[in-house]
Amino acid sequence: MSETESSRIGEKGSQKPGRREFLAVVGSGLTLGFFFDVVPRVAEAQPAGLAGPPANTQVNTWLNISSTGAITLTVGSSEMGQGSFSGLAQILSEDLMVNYASIQTVQGVPATGLPAIGNSIGTFGSSVTQSNYWNMRLAGAAAREMLVQAAMNIIGDQTRANYTVSNGVITYTPTNTNISYGLVASAAARLPVPANPPLIPDSQFRYIGTTVSRVDIPAKVNGSAVYGLDIRLPNMLYAVVIHSPVFGGTLNGPLPGLSPGVTAWVPLQVVAGTGRGTEATGMVNAVAAVGTNTWDVWQATLNATIAWSTPANASSLNDANFSNEANSAFNTNTPYSAGGPNIPPTLYTVEGNLAAANAAIAGAPKSIGPLYTLPYVPHNTLEPLSCTVNYVPGVSCDVYVPTQFASSVLALVNQMTGLPLNQIRVHTTYLGGGLGRKIEVDYVSQALQVAMAIGQPVMLLWPRPQNFLRDQFRPMAKVHIKAGLDNNGNVLGWSCINVSPSILAQRGYPVGAVGDSQATEGTTALPYDLGALSTQWVSHPSPIPVGFWRSVGMSINTFAVESAIDELAVLAGKDPYQFRLGLLTNPRWIAVLEAVAVLSNWTAGPPAGHFYGIAICAYANSIVAEVVDVSLNPGNDPDGQPALFNVNNVYIALDCYLSVNPGQIQTQLTGGMVHGLNAALYGRQDFVNGVPQWSNFLQNRVIRMNQMPQVAWTLIPNPAQSSQSVPIGGVGELGVPALAPALANAYFKASGNRIRTLPFFPNATMSGITN
Amino acid sequence: MAATFTLNVNGQNHTVTVNNPAMPLLWVIRDLIGLTGTKYGCGQNRCGACYVLVDNVPTNTCLEAAESFVGKNIVTIEGLSPNSSHPAQLAWIANQVPQCGYCQSGQLISTAGAMLAGYHGAAIAPQIQNVCICGTYPRILQAVETL
Ligand code: FES
Ligand code: FES
Repeated sequence: MSETESSRIGEKGSQKPGRREFLAVVGSGLTLGFFFDVVPRVAEAQPAGLAGPPANTQVNTWLNISSTGAITLTVGSSEMGQGSFSGLAQILSEDLMVNYASIQTVQGVPATGLPAIGNSIGTFGSSVTQSNYWNMRLAGAAAREMLVQAAMNIIGDQTRANYTVSNGVITYTPTNTNISYGLVASAAARLPVPANPPLIPDSQFRYIGTTVSRVDIPAKVNGSAVYGLDIRLPNMLYAVVIHSPVFGGTLNGPLPGLSPGVTAWVPLQVVAGTGRGTEATGMVNAVAAVGTNTWDVWQATLNATIAWSTPANASSLNDANFSNEANSAFNTNTPYSAGGPNIPPTLYTVEGNLAAANAAIAGAPKSIGPLYTLPYVPHNTLEPLSCTVNYVPGVSCDVYVPTQFASSVLALVNQMTGLPLNQIRVHTTYLGGGLGRKIEVDYVSQALQVAMAIGQPVMLLWPRPQNFLRDQFRPMAKVHIKAGLDNNGNVLGWSCINVSPSILAQRGYPVGAVGDSQATEGTTALPYDLGALSTQWVSHPSPIPVGFWRSVGMSINTFAVESAIDELAVLAGKDPYQFRLGLLTNPRWIAVLEAVAVLSNWTAGPPAGHFYGIAICAYANSIVAEVVDVSLNPGNDPDGQPALFNVNNVYIALDCYLSVNPGQIQTQLTGGMVHGLNAALYGRQDFVNGVPQWSNFLQNRVIRMNQMPQVAWTLIPNPAQSSQSVPIGGVGELGVPALAPALANAYFKASGNRIRTLPFFPNATMSGITN
Repeated sequence: MAATFTLNVNGQNHTVTVNNPAMPLLWVIRDLIGLTGTKYGCGQNRCGACYVLVDNVPTNTCLEAAESFVGKNIVTIEGLSPNSSHPAQLAWIANQVPQCGYCQSGQLISTAGAMLAGYHGAAIAPQIQNVCICGTYPRILQAVETL
């Protein structure tokens, strides 16, 4: 900061701006720096063993208005398909009073000449628009008022009412004098940042609530968008990773020899903070072949003889064993103890009282006790993991990486190289999908190790099989729900026990008395009237690495809870939609349910031969309900395997408070729904003696166009208004969780078969695209 | 043993030398010729991210040796038009098709190939079997209906 002056609103003299503060920097034009907010998940995603970025990296987003009037928003999050850059520009344009199309959005790399504190932060938890709506509005308003104040100083009339602003031009109305933003931008930068800049009324919105074009799309139709694997640096070499086939295995022999195209082999250690479960810090669990092109080094990893050790516990890392461990965990009587070791299986009481719930269920005239079983599920981003590093020892380190968590990358580079933060640059490329996998930095640590070993820029790739085999999977889970009804269909008691491995514990986080929030979300704070209630979680001892998977625990627990509610409706002899309404008093839930019922014409019902299932859940401050329409299909699916049913239509209703860009919300809901459908139909990873079994889309099948249902959607038209203390709702993950239960409920309606184990088609394979 | 051969990509001849004659066209295009719009997704003929037009036919490039494409006209996403003016590209922009965008080079190549084969409008859709993890299928359908 030595060559710049700054002013900020909020606490005077504070070195660290607060959440709603802006930092003005004198340089070229007007620059406002501010927090790009993070969601709660961020703290939990940051591995405990890895120091977080220091406080002065907290300003991570910059708004610059240059003296030529160019407006640039340097955004501290990742664009992985959700269109968030466009949404942020859309929000900013309102209070800044400029044309949306005039705002350039740039990925958050520190701008030259600014203090090196502009590194980006995490992109997950459906949070980008959700967390930053008010920041963007206030930033736009603050900048606008500073620019107007600068114009007032030039004109010499300090009566604010004599000035209007339109499309980046300030007009002094008494003389009809126009002053462009660019003209006063540098002068504005020397003014104090206003504490409470007035926001424009919602009625004056020109862009918020409309579907505007996304800024990233032109580059994505002509091959020019740069993803992780598209970086090309002078003298860059290519590296391809192969891991021990067994989780927990380590290199147990010499590195292979060189071959044409292969110039080096590098052993890869598990770096502190990046290891999960079986993968302990310091283990050499992988090697990389390095050379002049991807293909030669990839083939070398497949053809070379590499000896790996087999860990002592390998024979216990089996699906049958995981299942047995889960079954016995239901009977564990070791409760959580504060300060205790709490070794899995440990029982955590999340909500309510088990004895009371059990008594109510035992005394109920009718009851159910279904057990829902879900497998480990891999992420399936179409873009595989990659990271490119240009490391100059003692001087600089540039990292080019498709990451959801650039600040974690920054901290890792700092830890591994010892370089000060202002000599490290993290360049976030476009992401070919993130889905939660690109929150992790294991692949980044490997690229750094290779770059440090060979002294040359290097691009490191995990070929497709490594992505599926060496994932940090959505946790396996068994969820046992018991519930009892009276003769009128009222729920007298409800007990839910989830047994699953802990994502947070594998990251070194202490898990408190109410368990791992990632494991329990979706089982807690249900708005249904469920009588005597008990919600518990038991930690599962499996050490297979687990991680954040689009919508995380919601995608597991919504399947169990919304299937069980359906089973209760059947037991009560009631319509599943009406049964849910009867258990609800929460007006937002009721409105969303009613909206999806209207959209799907639930009451009249589907056409003959079609059957409906329904499910609803709340997440990230939003509420979503889905109705799935299936028809039985005794024939085969497009890939020649038993189809059982066709998924014809999916109806989706969402309340996310304010909708910034409805067209973008539509595509996010659809994309989430497809992600949920792929997992419900096909998603799983199986383990035999520590060896993951499925390595490509052949077995990790996904739907093509020929299996895509029709999608209809609706947004709650007049939702409760959000305010600065109530953030607007997220969208990015919302389509996922309700799909699986709505599908299972529809299939039950059609066939009488209740599917309680996912996926529907564990043995389905995917045929080639070209015959 | 190394092999040297010439490929015609987007109307230009490129002479390349590979260490391993089995190197698939995808990696020659990406790593040796330096055109990165063609993507690697599965390497197994499942996803279609690696599609290019070979003599006007959408073809996966992740398995077959590059040398077997000598003498053919190869068109990658970069060669579809000089300025994103191919009707499919315009339809993709007009209908805001891409999400993450990683599959879209392949989707566009499949669409362009179907158009070259004489398909129009909704009849193009069954010709597109490329995987899209982001679920852009409805927008793709909407876009091809205008072609
Ligand atoms: S990369 Fe060639 S079909 Fe997937
Ligand atoms: S747009 Fe992301 S995979 Fe298709």
